[in-house]
Amino acid sequence: MFQERVKVLWNTLECSGYYRIGMQSNPGYSRAKPGQFVMVRFPDEVTPLLRRPFSIHRLILHQGRTAGIELLYKVVGTGTEKLSLSRKGDGLDLLGPLGTHFKIPENTRRVFIVAGGIGVAPMFFLSATLEKAGVDLTESRIFIGGRSRDDLLCMNDFISVGMRTVHLTTEDGSAGLRDLVTTPLERAVAERAPDRIYACGPLPMIRAVAKIARRYRAPCQVSIESLMACGLGACLGCAVEGADPGKYLHACIDGPVFEADRLNL
Amino acid sequence: MAQAPDLSVRIAGVPLKNPVMTASGTFGYGREFSLLVDLNRLGGIVVKGLSLEPSRGNPPPRIAETPCGMLNAIGLENVGIEAFAAEKLPYLQTLSTPVWVNIYGKSVEAYARLAERIQEIEGIAGVEVNISCPNVKSGGVAFGVDPQAAHAVIRAVRERTDLPLMAKLSPNVTDITVIARSVVEAGADAVSLINTLTGMAVDVENRRSRIANITGGLSGPAIRPVAVRMVWQAAQAVDVPIVGIGGILTASDALEFLIAGASAVQVGTANFVNPRATLDIIDGIEAYLVRHRFTSLTDVIGSLQW
Repeated sequence: MFQERVKVLWNTLECSGYYRIGMQSNPGYSRAKPGQFVMVRFPDEVTPLLRRPFSIHRLILHQGRTAGIELLYKVVGTGTEKLSLSRKGDGLDLLGPLGTHFKIPENTRRVFIVAGGIGVAPMFFLSATLEKAGVDLTESRIFIGGRSRDDLLCMNDFISVGMRTVHLTTEDGSAGLRDLVTTPLERAVAERAPDRIYACGPLPMIRAVAKIARRYRAPCQVSIESLMACGLGACLGCAVEGADPGKYLHACIDGPVFEADRLNL
Repeated sequence: MAQAPDLSVRIAGVPLKNPVMTASGTFGYGREFSLLVDLNRLGGIVVKGLSLEPSRGNPPPRIAETPCGMLNAIGLENVGIEAFAAEKLPYLQTLSTPVWVNIYGKSVEAYARLAERIQEIEGIAGVEVNISCPNVKSGGVAFGVDPQAAHAVIRAVRERTDLPLMAKLSPNVTDITVIARSVVEAGADAVSLINTLTGMAVDVENRRSRIANITGGLSGPAIRPVAVRMVWQAAQAVDVPIVGIGGILTASDALEFLIAGASAVQVGTANFVNPRATLDIIDGIEAYLVRHRFTSLTDVIGSLQW
């Protein structure tokens, strides 16, 4: 875990409302795992006051070494709006890598990845590690859903790491199937359940994916979003309802990646 | 080269190597920050508020950002005094930094039982009595806004422990000096202030409070001027050391409190924003003393010119 002042390497518009920001980071990020996140602050500023959490989209390699990280983000409020105005060379205060990560147990051959909207951000990092972990990319599938065509991101990136089957859905029908992402997912799971499902996206989607996973007995890990102030397990602001009613889990240290059945969704 | 200035202070009889402590509820049980902060450099660590039994806390959403501040209604989620003693304290005991335990109860009796238990536990430098949490239904702030109730709690704790005692005061009162005098009379060796100001923020799109508890406690730089004012008032009213709390992000912020009459400070919300804030503040205070040719921090405490 590092807290450091870093420089922005690039900050480019991906498509309407979505940006990709590259920043330098400690070489120790080579040990960062898919699903982990960072907290970003605008140094010495009080508006916004709190850091903002972002999952790591990918590691930036330079001559074989980890030289930085890239975040994929959507402008949703004052923090991300301000971030979208960052330029190459600007300084940011970076804290990370934080939290739990997606696990790929041995003998995992066939996986389904489900991403809703900006939930695609950690999934590219995950997909880039699958092959090394022994997963058969030709047999695996990715399901990407969004409100509209502008909310479908990174399709080609998944193809570039060797995934073959990409299912696309939009709620307005402007691209792919006019449906929720969970419809083609359920069809595919019913046909033949994968060894594991990985999901990240809005809570209703996570809920639906977890339900499908339970019905077809497929192990499932989900990454959830939460407001949080510290990212370190100190503020306890990111309480999440777990299976144990006696105590809350915390998205920052118990998550953000959870086994779906540990959560009370 | 001149000698390094002396930053040490004494709070409720406890010697601190410098005046910078962590505020309860913003620094976990210390270890959460150990990868980022050399905990041995801190003046003191005040741990998350503890109750007799573990407490689940309030439902989410628990926090909301507001202009230059944040609202929280965590609801004193904590592991309970027994799990603290068994699982959290052993690590803290390996540090050279004094550890203060912050306690809260729902009745005078609960505070008294906590004090009794803490008296038996080794390795605790002092007790901070929280009579000011605005986010629990009973107890907490109910004791902190009524001088008689505040007196009763502090008296009950005082009778059960001879550990140094610090009363953490609520700003949600008309006259802070009345409560401050009352807890000192009951036996508090120091007072810390301020806890959060009760606040509220509404999401106008869905017409709901941004916090599930509806109201929360406001912290951060937004409350600092209120806190400095109250510390100054309390410093005129009581003779025990005052620990200033409220929106301290930098050394300059901390110095405002010290000049206004606080003998030490606690850093809270800043730990979330900048985990290294406490260390930056210690370094900044030292640099200030050098720049102004003070040989000791005690020359600055209460030095407000008026």
